[in-house]
This record gives sequence, C-alpha cells and structure tokens, in this order.
Amino acid sequence: MSLTQLLFYIMAFIVVASALFVASSKNLVRSIFMFFITLFGLAGLYVLALADFVAVTQIVIYVGGVLVLILFAFMLSGKETLNVLQQQKSKFISLSKLPAILLAALFFVVMVNVILKTDADNVYWVKMVTGANRQIKPNDIMTDNIGINLMTRYLLPFEAISILLMMALVGAAHLARKERGTV
Amino acid sequence: MNFYTTYFLIAIGLFAFVALFTLFGVYAERKLSAFIQDRLGPTEVGKFGMLQTLADIMKLIQKELIIPAAADKVLFLMAPVIIFVAVYLGFAALPWAPGLVPANVNIGLYYILAIISIETLGILMAGWGSNNKYSILGAMRSAAQIISYEIPAGFALISVVMIAQTLNLQDISMQQGILSPEKIKFLGLWDVSVNGGILAWNIFRAPHLIIAFVIYFIASLAESNRAPFDIPEAESELVAGFHTEFTGLQFALVFLAEYAMMYLVSMVGVILFLGAWNTPLPNIGAVHLASWTTGIAWGIFWIATKTLALIAVQMWIRWTLPRLRVDQLMNLCWKVLTPLAFLCMLISGVWRLWLM
Repeated sequence: MSLTQLLFYIMAFIVVASALFVASSKNLVRSIFMFFITLFGLAGLYVLALADFVAVTQIVIYVGGVLVLILFAFMLSGKETLNVLQQQKSKFISLSKLPAILLAALFFVVMVNVILKTDADNVYWVKMVTGANRQIKPNDIMTDNIGINLMTRYLLPFEAISILLMMALVGAAHLARKERGTV
Repeated sequence: MNFYTTYFLIAIGLFAFVALFTLFGVYAERKLSAFIQDRLGPTEVGKFGMLQTLADIMKLIQKELIIPAAADKVLFLMAPVIIFVAVYLGFAALPWAPGLVPANVNIGLYYILAIISIETLGILMAGWGSNNKYSILGAMRSAAQIISYEIPAGFALISVVMIAQTLNLQDISMQQGILSPEKIKFLGLWDVSVNGGILAWNIFRAPHLIIAFVIYFIASLAESNRAPFDIPEAESELVAGFHTEFTGLQFALVFLAEYAMMYLVSMVGVILFLGAWNTPLPNIGAVHLASWTTGIAWGIFWIATKTLALIAVQMWIRWTLPRLRVDQLMNLCWKVLTPLAFLCMLISGVWRLWLM
C-alpha cells in the first residue's frame, strides 16, 4: 500500500469516527468540537484529491465561520435551555425518531445505489481527461482556473448567490436594529 | 527517507525558533515597557536580566497542573494545544529568503488566513472548558473581535493580492526586489526593476497600499489580542480572560501562542507590504548595493530585522495607548477600517488595469 493510500485510509477513518461521535455524543459542546475534527479530516481528503483551494476554503468557511457562529449561539443561550436539549429520552426506538430514521434510510439506499451503479474503474469523464492527458498535476495552480470560470461560465449563479447573501446581510442588519422611540 | 527527515528537521527548527523568539520577545517586551514607564525592568538574573525569562519558564514548567473540578477536562486540556498548533502551522508557508521556504504552497496566503482562524476555536474551547464566567466572557469577546477584524485584514490582503496577482508568498516576495520576473514601477511611473531596494516594495509600487498596510497592522493587533485591543483579557474586569484558569505548562503554551502570533502576523505584513526578504538598499548607478545585499543569509537577516522592528512597534503601541471600549472597537472596525479596506481594494483593481 502506498503512502497516499495509507493517508487516505487514516483520514477517512478519522472523518467517519469523529462524525459518528458527533452524532452519538450526549454532550453537545463536545460534539461541536468533534465536528471540527471531521471538517479538518475532510479538508485533508480534499488535499489528497489535489483540490487544495477547496480544502482551505472548507477550513475558512466551516471552521472559521460556521463552527464559531454555532459556538457563539451556544454560549449565548442559558444553561437551562442546554440542559433540556441534552436530557433527551434515551430510548433507542421511539415514534419521534421515525422521520429521521426514514430520511436516513432513504438516503442510505440512494448512496448504496450510487456506489453499486458506478463502475469506478472506467468512468466516462475520467477516461476522457486521461485520454487527452489533461489531468491536474500536484504543482498546477488551480486558483486562476477557478477565478476565470467564476467570471465567465458560472457568472449568473455567482451573481445570484451574491444577491442572496446581500439579502441575508440586509435582513440581519434590519433585525439587529433598534426601533426608533423604544430605546 | 531523507526527504522526510528534512521535513521533521524543518518542523523542529521552526518550533525551536518560535520558542527562542518567545523567550527573548518577553524579555524585550519587559525591557521596552520598563523604558516607556521609566523603570528598570528585569535586572537581577544574568547580565542585564537577560536570563529572566529562562528562569520564568523553569518556574512555569515546575508548577502543578491544576484542572478545576467543574471544568470539562478534555476541552480544558486540549485548548492550549490547539491555540498554539494553529499559530505554529501558519509558520510552514512563510518564505525566509530567496529559495528558502518550508512549504512553497500555491495558495500560501490563503492557507495562513485559514489556519489563523482556527485559533478562535481554541480560544472558545478554553473559555467553555474552564467553566468560569471570566473565561467564557473573555473567550466570547476574543472571538467577536477576531471575527470582526478578519474582514478589514482580509480585504487589505486582497488589495495586495490584486496587485501581485498570486497567492504564493514566495512569488509575492520575489516581485518586490531585483529578482523580480516582471517589471516593477515605483508609484506606477518609474521603472525600477534594476534598482530594486526600498523603491520596489509593495507599499511604494502602489502607494494606496500604505493605507492597506496600516489597516492590516491595526487588524493584526486585534487578531493577536494585544493592547489596545486586549478587552478579551482585560485585567481590570476579567482577571485574565480566557486563560484565567490555566497554570504551568498550559499557561506557557498560551503565552507561546500569543508571541508566535505576533511574529506570524508581523512577518505576513512584512512579506506583503514591506518587501519581504528584499534589501531596502537600491542599486545606484555603479554602486550595486541591492545586488550585494541579496542572498540567503541576507534574506534571513532582512526579513528578521523588519519583522522584529514591526514587533517593536506593536510593543510600543501596547505600552502607549489605553484599551479601547467594546463599542469603540466595533465602530473602528465596521465604520472606519472596513470601508477604507474596500476602497483600497477598488483602487488596487484600477491600479492594476491602468498603471501596471
């Protein structure tokens, strides 16, 4: 087994194990911190797939942004609320869990189906790229490519997302604003 | 296998450097603060008190590791390690001299920005894990401050990247001196590719980057939680903020992280704005000052000198200015620095299109 494969299995194990811990742990704060390890492991997997830009973006957005905000919300809420959240009924099978189980099972079926149906050794687009000898090499600079594609081929989705984010920002500013006269 | 030995050696070397810098950084800070406040500072241990910090670290190592009874043990023990490792990882991508960089990553700058943001998580972990109201207040303040100031800092950095057109820190360094592969213009007018020196530094290549540099410098002070942005550890209100409960080695790690962070942010500032490892002396006619003072040893010398000078300014500011109140802090960030940083970014775009 080559070093790359070994690294892949180590990181995959870390991701899966920490994700399982996140889902099963009773201590909410610890599962948030464990989620950080999951995300970090995922970033490692991206690096192995030569998507270093995606890996770093993953850390910037999820670790530096989303996780910290989740923790913030967590620390601003009172201890009592958290205790209620943590003392869920520990019965393994209960009616309230049915929708979640259903969703998870369906998703599982989809995933198994995908894995069974793909013929990983000869995927059409992989063959096309290797045939034309255009694979990404470890030293290639990918940022230029991403930038050019964002500004040409994917301009409309890019702008749509920026308008969506703008709306979210305006909404947040509006909610946070003090109403006049109630000071 | 030689390959991997080198990697390990580099990692250990960087760690040794960070530890050594912290030792002398603390000493320098104490002497500097003593000078500013008209005191003597440490004088007893060794010549001029130079071994004072060594004695301090000995004391810290011997101290008992106390874990508060109500603390979350795992988080409490992990937090200082994560805080330090986050900063330490950032050192991997910093170039020291022409051809001398631990990891020549294509997206070096972006990587450093990402890695630094992990520190916030460590701080929140410390705050929550200690189960102490001062710690958690300090952690929340610290996180709020770091998140807010990442925005102006990020845009100041983007305005440099727009001029340099690369995220690779070694390439950015290369562009600011006589080794540059492309043409450099002083203030966008005068071709100084052969002269190099201080004229080729980024802040003089495009003068609006001076503003960007000031923005970055202020934001970097906030990101390393140093005065005047030290409300996270405000001694008068919060005992010591997020590291109230830490003792012994754990406290030493938090301290190490703070000084390592100072070095890291200063070095990033030097690389992006102040010419990285390039000499400040230009080539003048037959006197090839720049060519004589460029090389691996010179590179290390210049970048270390510039970084230490910037750290001295950080310390000077810390012992001069009073602490900002939280509303002043946010006003400065959102109403002054962020719009200015946006303006810098805009000017960068225009500059790149029309003047370069």
